[in-house]
Formats: sequence, structure tokens, C-alpha cells
Amino acid sequence: MSRVLVVEDDPHILRLISMWLKRQGHDVREARNGLAARELLNAEPTDVLVTDVNMPGWDGLALIEAALPMGQVQRGIVVLTNRWDHGEIRDRLAQWHVHVLPKPFSPARLSELVESLTTAGAGDSPGSVVASAPRPEEGV
Amino acid sequence: MSARCPSAPDDLLLRDLVCGLSTPRRAPTVSVGVLGSPDHTPQPPAHCLRVCLGADPQAVASRGCQFLATAARHEIDRTQLQDGRCPQGFAVTARPTRLGGAGAVFVSVEGEIADGTAQKQGHAADESNLLGHVDTAARLVQRVGEILEENSGFADEVLQNYEQLNLIFDLTQQIAQVTDARAIEKLLLQRVARLLGSAAVTLASADGGCRVFGGADGRGDGVAPDLPLTDLRPVESLIDEIRRTRQVRVHEAGGRQIIAGPLVRLDEKVDVVFADRAPGHGAFSSGDMMLVESMLAFGGQIITNTELHERLRRMSLEVTHAMVAAIDKKDHYTSGHSQRGGFLTRLTAQELGVPLAEQQTMEWAGLLHDIGKIGIPEEILCKPGKLTHEEFEVIKQHPRMGYEILKPIASLGVVLDGVLYHHEYPDGSGYPEGLKGDQIPLVARIVHVVDTFDALTSTRAYRQAFHVERALEIIRDEKGVRIDAEVADAFFRAFERYRREEPGDFAARFPAFIQSEKAHAKP
Repeated sequence: MSRVLVVEDDPHILRLISMWLKRQGHDVREARNGLAARELLNAEPTDVLVTDVNMPGWDGLALIEAALPMGQVQRGIVVLTNRWDHGEIRDRLAQWHVHVLPKPFSPARLSELVESLTTAGAGDSPGSVVASAPRPEEGV
Repeated sequence: MSARCPSAPDDLLLRDLVCGLSTPRRAPTVSVGVLGSPDHTPQPPAHCLRVCLGADPQAVASRGCQFLATAARHEIDRTQLQDGRCPQGFAVTARPTRLGGAGAVFVSVEGEIADGTAQKQGHAADESNLLGHVDTAARLVQRVGEILEENSGFADEVLQNYEQLNLIFDLTQQIAQVTDARAIEKLLLQRVARLLGSAAVTLASADGGCRVFGGADGRGDGVAPDLPLTDLRPVESLIDEIRRTRQVRVHEAGGRQIIAGPLVRLDEKVDVVFADRAPGHGAFSSGDMMLVESMLAFGGQIITNTELHERLRRMSLEVTHAMVAAIDKKDHYTSGHSQRGGFLTRLTAQELGVPLAEQQTMEWAGLLHDIGKIGIPEEILCKPGKLTHEEFEVIKQHPRMGYEILKPIASLGVVLDGVLYHHEYPDGSGYPEGLKGDQIPLVARIVHVVDTFDALTSTRAYRQAFHVERALEIIRDEKGVRIDAEVADAFFRAFERYRREEPGDFAARFPAFIQSEKAHAKP
């Protein structure tokens, strides 16, 4: 079990992701935008951050930029994007080790990713270079 | 009791219940809701309410009593629990819920317990009032449970749809990058296997035989799945039925289910695709059937188009070669001239940095440039010795004739330029139009150089072949006059490199050159 923070402005998708990850046995917290997520992270860091990109106010990228250097995400980040922005977002996130999943995301792939992030070796903190080759749909 | 009797604020109650029940699949679970207080506290305040869920109403009631006892720091004699009521001022009710057990709601009023004596004043009315609340709460619990269960079902469906949508998006994206019918077939059937949660799918080909495609990550490709559908005899009648009706069927065989559907290919050939599902994975649903139907229809269309495209491409090549063969039949001295012309034109175009698609067109121009010779009388075309002025004027008709022959084929475009102008010279002394320099289309300039070279190195009715080096020399001398200089240089480079780097291919394609070189080498 690991701590997962899900950030998504669409309440239905948020609920769905959080329900899905809870079923896999994770301890899930929810936020509707980047700012709310930041507050939760200030209170307690998370193992995995699952975040949407396009959100009102603070978007997913701003959240990542703020949270990563603070060490508030301890194992890894999964970014959900729509298919049209997918390539561009992946390029913008190229400098960090994040996984990018296009929407509609595959639930199986999401839980696989969260699982692999939390069971990976201790050296694989976000931002570091990871030895395992990323799958084509993911980032760098 | 009436004064402190809790009046349930429904929103708070619901919110708390939802918190506790959000994983209804793991019932029985226990949760606590506190009425009249905005936050959870481990020690219940004056009014407290507890919701228990469980499979067995007795056990639920008993757990509720324990809770009340703890909350009130007061031991309750469980045998006193009768008729859903706890005697010492507590109201208890247990109801069956749709979550597969009973829900019970307990309300305690701590102040009355703390002093150890149950105050009985005004009891009858208050108690029924209290029980009324309890009843309402219990019904709410039940309803919330039902809603959560429905939600969970919806969520499952949405999650499954996401999974399928994702696979379909991926499939369409990947198929767009594949141009080979077999590769598309493989991609499609692997995805069908994954979507159905099958280890593998089997395709019974209309041409006989079958192929097996693995599910997740393509594992199991070519390996027969548990249900050995490589032996098609037991399902022959099913195959026949699907070929006839072209509809998806679910079939029971040996206690296992098979889903089967048609993959319609070119010429209305129907392959039949089978998938089975391991025991314990549930039966195939109508959703699965629709999925198989639409994916196979979509995939079949793409495979058919790809096969059709491939067939047309091959056919146009064959027609071109047939036309080329017709030229060579007419003038056997030029046998192989067209083939070599096509090859060398492409080689030179490549050297000049012409885009790949245009190289193909230019190769065709090289192949077809002399097709107009079909219209030239044989006695002139194959005349040994020098041609008269009149005869030469007839020969000069062949580019125009070739153009007229090919003009009805709209798609040939640039090829026509190559055919019509391949005897135009940079100094304007060529025919049929006397174009000069850059007026002559590139394709025609290339074909002209190649044509000249091949003519010089071939034996003709009226003379022996020149040696390769001599032919190159002649062309070099004509550079800028009757031969385009830039194209000639590219031709020299391309030809020399080809001869040096691929001697085997060169020897096979130009056997006459090798022989003439040997002859030349002799003193």
C-alpha cells in the first residue's frame, strides 16, 4: 500500500480514479486543483502523484514544478493528458522522470504504473534517471 | 430524553456514512457517524450514533451493544437484547440491507447512562420518537448502501470502457502506420484478444489452415491456447455458419465458451476468428459480442483496402512490364534495353537527390520511353545499314507515338514528359519540339543520357556495340551539347559506384558489359 494523491478537476474522473486505486489497496487523497493539492502536500508528502494537466488556477505542470524540488513526491509522478496535447506535454516534462498517460487512460496501465513506482528500487526517485526503458506511450 | 434526543441532520449523516462505506465490497465493515457534532471524535459526545453492517443481524446487534457499552463505559447484558431494543435507555434496530447483511443503528444518550440509571421519565413517547429516527437512519443506511453498490457497478463499467477505448485508440493509431495486411491482421487480433481478456485468438483462414495470435504484449503468438482451436474439426459447423451468416456467435464447447466472428477480406473471403475465455472469467456478454463485431468489421475493412491497394500496385507494375515486353518483341536488337533504361534512370535520379516517389515515376519513364516504337514499321526499325532521310523522319515519330499511346493513362503524369522529350538535346537540335536546356524536363534529360549510354553499348542492326569505357567517353564529349552536363556527371558517379560496390548485381543485370570488357582486355 502506498500514499497516492490524485489531482483532477473533473469530479467524476477524480472519483473514478480514486475508487480504482483504493480498490488496489492504496491510501488515496483527492484534490480538485493544483493549489489544493499543494496544501495537502505541505501537510504530508505523498509516494505517488497522479495529476491531470489542464485545471483551472494552478495546473498540473505548475504543481509538479513546485512539488518536485521540495521532495514532496517521494516515488513518482503519473501525468494524465488528453491525446491532442500528449506529445507537447511529454516534451515539456522531458526533464523529469514522469510517466505520461493519454486519456482516456487505461485503468490497468495506471495501476500497473503506480504499483511499479512504489515497488521500484530505492534509488528511483522522481527526477533521477531510471534504468528501465520507458514504454512508448510514456514519457522519459 | 426528548430534549436531548438527536434530530438527524441528514447531510452530515450521509457524508459520514459515505466515508465509512466507500468500499462496500469489503462488507462487513463498521463505521461511526456522530450526530450533532461536525467532527469525528474518538470519545462519543452526548449524542452518538453508530452504524454497523454485517452479514448476521444478531452479530450486528451484538456489536452495536458492545459499542454502546464502551461508549457509555457501561456493561450491557446482551441477553437483555430483545425485540431489537436495548433495555437500558438504548434504542437498537437491525434491518437487512442489500449489501448482503444487516444494518443496525444504535443511538445512545450518554448523559442518561453515565449516572448508571436509566431515566425513564416520559419514556413511552420519547422512545417511539427515538425509534422513529433510528428507523429513518436505518433506511438511509440501506439506501446509501444501494447507491454505493450501483455506483460501484457503474464505475466498473466506466473503467472497462476506458480500457477498451484506450485499446481502440491505440489500435487505430498504430494501424495507420502499418501498410502490410498481415501486420495489420496481427495487430488487430492481438488487440481483440486483450479486449476480451483471452489468452489468444485463433483465425481460421478461408484458404485453409489457421493462425494463432497472443493476447497481452503479443505473448503466445503462434502458440496454441489452452483450448486447442488449431484442430478445427469440432467447430467446423460453427465456421460454416459464420461464413454464411457473417454474424458473431457465442458457442459452448466442453464447458467452455468460445466467441467467434467473421473477418471479411478481399474477394469476399471470410476468415473466422475464435477466442475463448479461461474458466472463472465470466461468460461473454452482449457487449463483448458487439465489440468483436465492430472490431472485426473495422479491421476487415482496413485489411481489405490494404490488400486491394497491394493488388493494384502489383497489377500496374505487371501491366508496365507487359508493355515493355511488347516493345522488346518488336525490336529484338533492343531486348533488355527498356529494363536497363528503367534501372539506370532510377539510379541517376537517386544520385541527383530526387524524392523517392518521383524516382519510382522516373523509373517508369525509363522503362516505357521507347513504347512508341510499336508504331514504327519493322523494316525501318530493324533495317541493317544507314537509314534514308525519310526513314529517319519516321523513326523520329516514336516519342510522339509513345506519348499518344500512354496519354489516356491519367496517372502516368511525369512519365509522359519522359517519353515525349527523351530525344530533346540541350543545344535545341533534338526532336520532336527542339526544346533547349532547362526547357527539357529533368526526367527526359535523365532518360536521354541513360538511353544514349545503353544504345551505344548495345549491338544494333547497323553496328557492333561500343565498349563501356568508350561509350562513357562519347557521352563525356557531348556534355553541354547533346547531353545535359549535370545529369551526365550524376550518371557517371552513380554508374561507377554501382559497378564498384555491387559487382554481383551488375554482372547479372549487364552480362553484355562484362563480355565486352573481357573482349576489350584481350590484346
